[in-house]
Amino acid sequence: MDDQGCPRCKTTKYRNPSLKLMVNVCGHTLCESCVDMLFVRGSGNCVQCDTPLRKSNFRVQLFEDPAVDKEVEIRKKVLKIYNKRDFDFSNLREYNDYLERVEEIVYNLTNNLEVEGTKQIMEAYQRENRDIIQKNKAKLTREQEELEELLLLEQQGNEQRRLETLQEEQRQLQAKRKSKQALLDELERSHVPATILLAQHKDRAAQLETQIEKQKQVVKTTIFSTGIPMGQTVSLLTVNRLEEVLYHYQPIHMHTYGPPVPELEQLGRLGYLNHVRTAQPQDMAGGYNSGLACHRAIQDAFSGLFHPLG
Amino acid sequence: MFHISSQKKYWTFDNEESLEQLRCEANQKYRNKMLASGKPGVSDAVFLEAHEENVLFRHYEKRLLDFCNAFKPVMPKSVVGTAIMYFRRFYLNNSLMEYHPRTIMLICAYLSCKVDEFNVSSTQFVGNLVQESAAGQERALEQILEYELLLIQQLNFHLVVHTPYRPMEGLLIDIKTRYPLLENPESLRKSVDDFLTRVTLTDSGLLFPPSQIAMTAILNSASRAGLSMESYLTECMGLKEDKETLLKMYDAMRRIKSLMKKYELPKPDEVNAYKVKLERVHADFGTNSNMKRKRGYEDDDHVAKEPRMTEEVSETTYILATSASTFHVINSLLCFLGGVDG
Repeated sequence: MDDQGCPRCKTTKYRNPSLKLMVNVCGHTLCESCVDMLFVRGSGNCVQCDTPLRKSNFRVQLFEDPAVDKEVEIRKKVLKIYNKRDFDFSNLREYNDYLERVEEIVYNLTNNLEVEGTKQIMEAYQRENRDIIQKNKAKLTREQEELEELLLLEQQGNEQRRLETLQEEQRQLQAKRKSKQALLDELERSHVPATILLAQHKDRAAQLETQIEKQKQVVKTTIFSTGIPMGQTVSLLTVNRLEEVLYHYQPIHMHTYGPPVPELEQLGRLGYLNHVRTAQPQDMAGGYNSGLACHRAIQDAFSGLFHPLG
Repeated sequence: MFHISSQKKYWTFDNEESLEQLRCEANQKYRNKMLASGKPGVSDAVFLEAHEENVLFRHYEKRLLDFCNAFKPVMPKSVVGTAIMYFRRFYLNNSLMEYHPRTIMLICAYLSCKVDEFNVSSTQFVGNLVQESAAGQERALEQILEYELLLIQQLNFHLVVHTPYRPMEGLLIDIKTRYPLLENPESLRKSVDDFLTRVTLTDSGLLFPPSQIAMTAILNSASRAGLSMESYLTECMGLKEDKETLLKMYDAMRRIKSLMKKYELPKPDEVNAYKVKLERVHADFGTNSNMKRKRGYEDDDHVAKEPRMTEEVSETTYILATSASTFHVINSLLCFLGGVDG
C-alpha cells in the first residue's frame, strides 16, 4: 500500500500498515509514533531539514507525496488572504494575471525560493486589500453555510427514505405472517376441505402481492429534478426579441471568361457522354462515373476562352 | 480551373515585349551582381548577351523535351508540358549564367512528375540518364535534391500548371457532340497533338489561356485539312452577336500562329560557341565549390536538401539552424564571412 517508510524508524511503517504518516510545514514525513517520540524529548526539529517545529503543525498525510501535502497547506493559507473571485475583476485578462500571481507565490513558498520577499508581498497585499478580504471572507462563509444546509437536507431526506423502506418491509413481513397464521387457524377450525382452504389462501396471498406492487409504484413525485418543487409557479422573464435580417442564400457567381458549361446532370441528356470512354465497373465502385471526366474536360475547354488577354 | 488559377493571375503576361524585358532584366541583374562582387577576370565580354542566352535556352529546352519523350515509363503529355513550363518560368526571372540549365532541366522534369502525380522514384528517374554511370547518376540525384527547393521558390510556389491538353480533349468532345458538320474530328487528333507539342516550345503558354491555344490548334488543323470550322465559333460558342470577342479570338489565334512560325531550332555552331562561354562563366564564377564541400558532409549521413548558396543570407542562417554538428556551423560561418567566393 505504501512504498515510503518513516525516515526515522524506517521499519515500523511496513510492519504496521494502519500507522499514519504525518506531514509538517517543511514537507517532510514522520509516522505517528515518531512524532510522539520527537516531542517527548522536548526537541522540535525536523529530522531531515532541521527546521524548528511545533506538534500542532503536524497534519495527517492525505497524499502519497509529502510535497503535495505541503503545497496544499501553503495554498490554503495563501488563499485565505488572496480570496478574490472571478466576478471581482473587470475582464478575464486581469483575473488571469491575478491567478498567476497567486500561483507564483504558492510556488515560491513551496520550493523555498525567496521566502522573505514573497512573505513581504503577501503582507503588503493584505494591508492594501484588507476590507475586500473581509468582505470575501464573509461571502465565503455564507456560501459554505448554504452548502452545508443543502447537504444536511439531503442527508435527512436519505435517512427518512431509508426508515420508510424499512417500515414497509416490516409491515409486509407481518402481513405475510398473519395470513399464514390465519390459514393454520382455519385449517384447524373449519370444516371445509383442506384443498379449498389452500386455494383461498393462495388467492389472498396473490392479492396481497399485487397490492404491495401497486403501492410501490405510486411514488409521489413532489419535486422536479432541478430542485424546483412541483406546483410552484415560476415567473419567467420575457425574452427580448432579436430583430435580425433573414439570411438569404445567394449562389456564388464565378466569372469563367468563357462560354457557359452545361451542368453535370445534363451531360448525358445532351449527348456528351457518348464521346467519353465509358466507366468500367471497377471505376464505378469507387464512385467515378464518366460524367465527371467529361464535365472536367468541358470546363477546362471553356475556361478562359474569351479571355481579353491575348 | 484556369480562371481562378495562379497561372492566370501571376504567370500570364500581356505581350512578348514584357517577357523579353523580364529576361533582359534577369540577365542584367546577374551581370551587375558579378561586376559588383569584384572578382578577378570579370568583364562585360565574358558574360552572355540576352539573345545568346535565348539560343542556349531553346537548345536546352529541346533537350528537355527529348529527355521527357525518351523517359521510361512513358511520361504523360501533361507532365512534359508542366516540365517545360517550369523551365520557361524559371529562366524568366533568372539568368542561365547563374544556374546551369543542364541541372535545372532535370529538376523541372523531376518536380513536374511529382506535381502531376506521375509517381516515379528518384532512382528510377536518374536511371533514365543513360549516358551516366551509376556514380554519375548518384551525383545527378544529389544535385536534383539540392536545387529542388530553389526551383520551387523561383516559381513562387505556384506549382499547378494548366496545359492545353485537357482543353483540347474537351473541345474535341464538344465538337463531336454539338458540331455535326465536322464528320470525323478524330482525324484531326494527330495534327493537333503535333501543333501542341510545337506550341509548348514557344512563349504562348505565358501569354494565352490554354483553352485558346487548344482552340487555335484545332482550327489550324482543320483548315490545314481543308475543313471549314468557322461556324463552330459563331454558332456553338454563341459568338454570332458578340463580334468583339470573336475578333479578339481571331487575333489571339493569329498571334499564336505567328509565334509558332517564328520559332526555329537553334543552329549547332552558335549553340556550341555559346555553350563554351557558359561553361567558362560557370567554372569561373559558379558556386561549384559548394558541391565539393558538400561531399565532405556525406560521411555524417547528412542528406542536404537545402540549396547552399552562400550569397543568400537567409539560406546561410537556415543552414546554420539545421546543421548537425558545430563543424558545419563554423565552416558555413567562415565561408559567409569570407565572401562570395567561399
